Amino acid sequence: MVQSIILSGVAVGCVYALIAIAYNVMFSASRVFSFTAGTLGMLGGVLGSLFILRMGLPVSVGFVLALAGGAVFGIITEIVAVRPVLKSLDQHLYVLSTLALALMVQQFTAIEWSTEPQPFPRLFDIARIDFDQQFWLPMLACAVSIVGLELLYRHTLIGYAFLAISEDNYAARALGLPERGLRMASFAIAGAIGALAGFAGGEMLLAFFANAPMLTFYGFVPVALGGMGNNRGAVVAGLLLGLFQQAANFLVGGIFASVAVFTVFIVVLLARPDGLAGASLRRRV
Amino acid sequence: MDTQVTQPLSPPRADVPVASASIASALLPFAALLVVGLAFPLFGGGYWGVIATRACVYWVLVSGLNLVVGFAGQIAIGWVALLTLGAYTTSVLVAGNVMPAWPPYLALAASAVVGAVFGLIIGLPALRLRTFYFAITTLGFATIVTQVALAWQSVTGGGVGVPGPIFPPPFSSQWGFYYFCFGLAAICTWMTANIAASRFGRALAAIRDAEVAAEASGISKPALLVTVFLFAGAAAAVAGGLFASLQSYITPDAFTIDLSILFFIAILIGGRSSIIGPLLGTILLTVLPEFAAPLVAWSTFLYAVLLLVIVLVIPGGIAEMLDFKNRRPLESDRAIVPRPELVARLFGAASGAGALTLQQVALSFGGVKAIDGLDLEIRPGQVHGLIGPNGSGKTTTLNVISGYYAPQRGEVRLNGAALPEAALHLRAEKRIARTFQTPRIVGSASVLENVMIGGTIDGQATFVESLLSLPRHWRDEARLREAAMLALSTVGLERLAQVRADRLQHSELRFTEIARALMLRPAFLLLDEPAAGLSVDEIARLGALIIAISRAGTGVLLVEHHPDLIFDICHHVTVLNLGKTLAAGTPADIRSHREVVNAYLGG
Amino acid sequence: MSITRRQALASGAAVLATTIAKPAIAAKDPIQVGYLPALTGPSSSTGVGINRGIQLAVQEINAAGGIDGRQLELITRDTQSDPTKAVNGAAELTRGQKVSCVFGPVNSGESLAVVPLLARTNTPQIHPCWVDTLTDPKKFPACFRNAPTNQQIGGAANRYVTEVLKRKKVAVVSDTTGYGTASVNAYVPMLKEKGAEVVYQGNIDAANPDLKPELLRMQNAGAEAIMPWSVNAGFLSRIINTRGQMGWDVPIVGQTTLGSGQTAALLEKQDFWAKVYPNNFRPVCFTPDGKMTDRTSAFVDRLKSAKIEMGDTLLWWIALGYDSPLMIAEAMKSVGTEPDKIVGYLNQLKSFPGVYGDISFTPDRHDGYPDEQVVMVEANSLKNGAFKLAPGYSA
Repeated sequence: MVQSIILSGVAVGCVYALIAIAYNVMFSASRVFSFTAGTLGMLGGVLGSLFILRMGLPVSVGFVLALAGGAVFGIITEIVAVRPVLKSLDQHLYVLSTLALALMVQQFTAIEWSTEPQPFPRLFDIARIDFDQQFWLPMLACAVSIVGLELLYRHTLIGYAFLAISEDNYAARALGLPERGLRMASFAIAGAIGALAGFAGGEMLLAFFANAPMLTFYGFVPVALGGMGNNRGAVVAGLLLGLFQQAANFLVGGIFASVAVFTVFIVVLLARPDGLAGASLRRRV
Repeated sequence: MDTQVTQPLSPPRADVPVASASIASALLPFAALLVVGLAFPLFGGGYWGVIATRACVYWVLVSGLNLVVGFAGQIAIGWVALLTLGAYTTSVLVAGNVMPAWPPYLALAASAVVGAVFGLIIGLPALRLRTFYFAITTLGFATIVTQVALAWQSVTGGGVGVPGPIFPPPFSSQWGFYYFCFGLAAICTWMTANIAASRFGRALAAIRDAEVAAEASGISKPALLVTVFLFAGAAAAVAGGLFASLQSYITPDAFTIDLSILFFIAILIGGRSSIIGPLLGTILLTVLPEFAAPLVAWSTFLYAVLLLVIVLVIPGGIAEMLDFKNRRPLESDRAIVPRPELVARLFGAASGAGALTLQQVALSFGGVKAIDGLDLEIRPGQVHGLIGPNGSGKTTTLNVISGYYAPQRGEVRLNGAALPEAALHLRAEKRIARTFQTPRIVGSASVLENVMIGGTIDGQATFVESLLSLPRHWRDEARLREAAMLALSTVGLERLAQVRADRLQHSELRFTEIARALMLRPAFLLLDEPAAGLSVDEIARLGALIIAISRAGTGVLLVEHHPDLIFDICHHVTVLNLGKTLAAGTPADIRSHREVVNAYLGG
Repeated sequence: MSITRRQALASGAAVLATTIAKPAIAAKDPIQVGYLPALTGPSSSTGVGINRGIQLAVQEINAAGGIDGRQLELITRDTQSDPTKAVNGAAELTRGQKVSCVFGPVNSGESLAVVPLLARTNTPQIHPCWVDTLTDPKKFPACFRNAPTNQQIGGAANRYVTEVLKRKKVAVVSDTTGYGTASVNAYVPMLKEKGAEVVYQGNIDAANPDLKPELLRMQNAGAEAIMPWSVNAGFLSRIINTRGQMGWDVPIVGQTTLGSGQTAALLEKQDFWAKVYPNNFRPVCFTPDGKMTDRTSAFVDRLKSAKIEMGDTLLWWIALGYDSPLMIAEAMKSVGTEPDKIVGYLNQLKSFPGVYGDISFTPDRHDGYPDEQVVMVEANSLKNGAFKLAPGYSA
């Protein structure tokens, strides 16, 4: 029983962590929190099911296409919902524009795909064991993403460029870095990571449009608790969240589990508004 | 009263005829809606009666939420939690599940109280959290309330729910109930419109768009937010009771996130700092799906598209579309002609304050010593210049004096008494005013309203008095308006009083900030690079104005890069370099000081 | 060209003639019937299934000449599984369109709000929702239910578990929706009255991806049967899958959706569907000798020739949808479209031969579905949308 809770807790926690990383990557590139992160996760599952089950494509092809779909949606988000509002003085418009875009995609999926959860394919045709692929796939995806991002940011030129535009926008532009192109690329990467979350977690969460609002919230909790822009903090917080949620589900039942999660989240956030590990941004006067 | 002014003055142009014309045109949409609403039963059938009643109920909630979202700029997406609370409280009390049945009106009043309390609870995180985080916590609350309603089935009926209240005659028939809801909606419109046109409404907009300037004007963000959360919570809960009656039966699944998003979008479509905009937005969003019956499945999709379009195309919303007076082109060759002679009239008697001193103040950011043992004295009636290269600590010094930062060592004293540290919003009552390096103004408000923000702490009417439009509220408004017009005339911008501030040129914004600061009748005025971006003529006029201000008894600290302005008008000058005083003395001393010349002035 | 007086008179007479002729055509105006399904939103699977049946029935009625020469016009307002939209829709149907009768809503949460509203305009209403309080001949004299109540459904399931399968220790579980929680709260006392011991009673979040801990808990408590109450195919399939993965041999007895095509699609192995016994309804099931009743066979054939999909839904939903306009049409053919007359007719209805069931009402009982037609079936016997009766089932 405990083993089961830990396995599913860590697995679903990895899905949440990946969504949190998607949030963070978008935030680093634009200083904007995009409501589309959860929708990316939903799309990963839906597109995977669409390509592999409904259209009968091989798993590897479906995987690449699903991630590409996520990247495309990420770029669309940047062009339609983020770039236009970055120029405006009003900082809160991005909440609305990304929320609107996320809602549009969710509703479209509900109407055109299905309002019911649809099956997600079993990716590797091996027998089911305790430590089953539905659990280790998200963990693998999370590990690969973290390692991949670290390598990108710290060992490649383009990674340095990403870091530059997020640390000091003006200086980076003054140096001639193509800010817009880099931002689009960041959103594409975030899109792929979000879709990866949904794809890797597809067998657990199924291809369901209502995963989007659920992942929007549960993917944001690790961001808030781990510190804005802090990927390692997000992963730790994500795992803790997944474990806490599964434990709460088991101990207090379905209704009170969500109450418990929200309450703990709100309390922790009030105690540490910048997250458990984050540093506060200074206002500039 | 002042005795210095002897020559007759032409009265400043108060733009009174324009003001009353604009008031009439602002009232017109409300009057039209009132007439249509009252006459509705005559032409609308039973079906549209239900829709109209629903729009009224939603507006009761949205009118309160508008103060939180539209005015204060807090992204409270999960406000449906309060609708749920109000609906269940009223229904459970009237149904008599828990205790003997209450009369419906009393139950509605009780749920208003419950709503106020929970509005505060749900809203309080806004004081501590960033925007997006706060938005997510409100969503969390919305889920918590619905889940509790589902679980607590001995009281709420759980999944099966509870019947809604029926109000006694004459409000028990369909049209009777419609008039009840319409009446409450009209009262909410009136009350929130009163707040919008009061110092509270302006202060809320200031918190939203120019938070630091608001605090510098003495506005306390926590106190104001607490007040609007209480009001918005109560309004939402009353709407909940009405909602339950309209539905005749409530279950947890009636309180969807879609509904919450509807309220939020109605406000943003309507435009910020507006009453008529969100009102029309609410009506639009309630009515729209009914016209699109074949598209009903797509209605949330359409809402989302509408929102995206509005955010991208007209961020100002319906209110901006209706803002006809701000479409009139402005004169292109506008000159700012201050009238320094009005300063004395604006200030009245001199305050007789002592000096403002800094003693060995030090402040580091991380490893960087921004100020390293600074001594400074600003005396009333004198202009003290503060110059130095970039990064020498000028703005940081100003920020320490105005209370934005607490010094790590040393003290700031006024009249010998230490000023409270890191207490930006307490400076206003000490009559210490300031302007900012980049003008902080409320773009969507008029120039006059921006200046009136400066006088917020002089208002005496309470929130409730403004809500109910009591006489003290009107006296406040008249007094503030008069003082603000005088301040605008002093800085030479009275002709632009009614213009929306974001249409102004940069130099005009700088003078607007000065007018706002003058509203405090400051004993000390801190100016942060006011000449930046001004033309040569404007700088000269600025200089004359500053001299007049100092002659009226104010001590002025002038942080500047324009050496001519400094040397022309300052009585004393302090030169900073690397956080320490490089030199201090009269302008003549400084101009010839060798190190200053080398480090900074050149030539 | 000037018009002569004769021409003017002639044209005037022609206009007059057509105007007088109009009332006769007016008598052939369509009869408007309102319909409030949930076609979209989270609880739409029932509405989508029912809709297929209703549309077919209305087409057939109109193709056969309608009701006394008048066509039946179905005015549909999708409630989107939302009680507020259901109320708006009901208001439009009764006060805007002035329909003669309303069918629906199909979800209990929406009906709870709509039934009192329709009672105020005295509009005859027929709905298939299960929550017990949704009919009350005194408070809502024009409201009828042509489906079983929660008591009937739970009663049949509980009887099967305790009397046929002879299990004493039962785990009762639902999701966190209103329907699920209300069902569990209603059925647990009923089980206890029958002498069973409820060793586990819980509400599980339907989005919970892993139900193994919960099933382990049930197992540890000694449960001999699992009774899930939910319309969420994802949730139900997870219960079935987990039981199969654990290799735990206990029967699953509960909600009809356990047997739907959507649940089947989400199963890991078809084998897992063994020993799953959902509610269903005798008329749309196979008889013990493996045949369908004539009425049902004819219906299934009609569905096939109309190319109506059955595999992703439940046959009884389609059948229920099909029966409802036919019942209303018969009422109107007998007594006309006046509301009081329709209510009077329905109050005397005896064994209306629907595909889904034989419906009867009395002035004191507006729950028309007979107890004995609620049965338990074997989920994995699904063929053509119909099931075989569960083993040992005789009642």
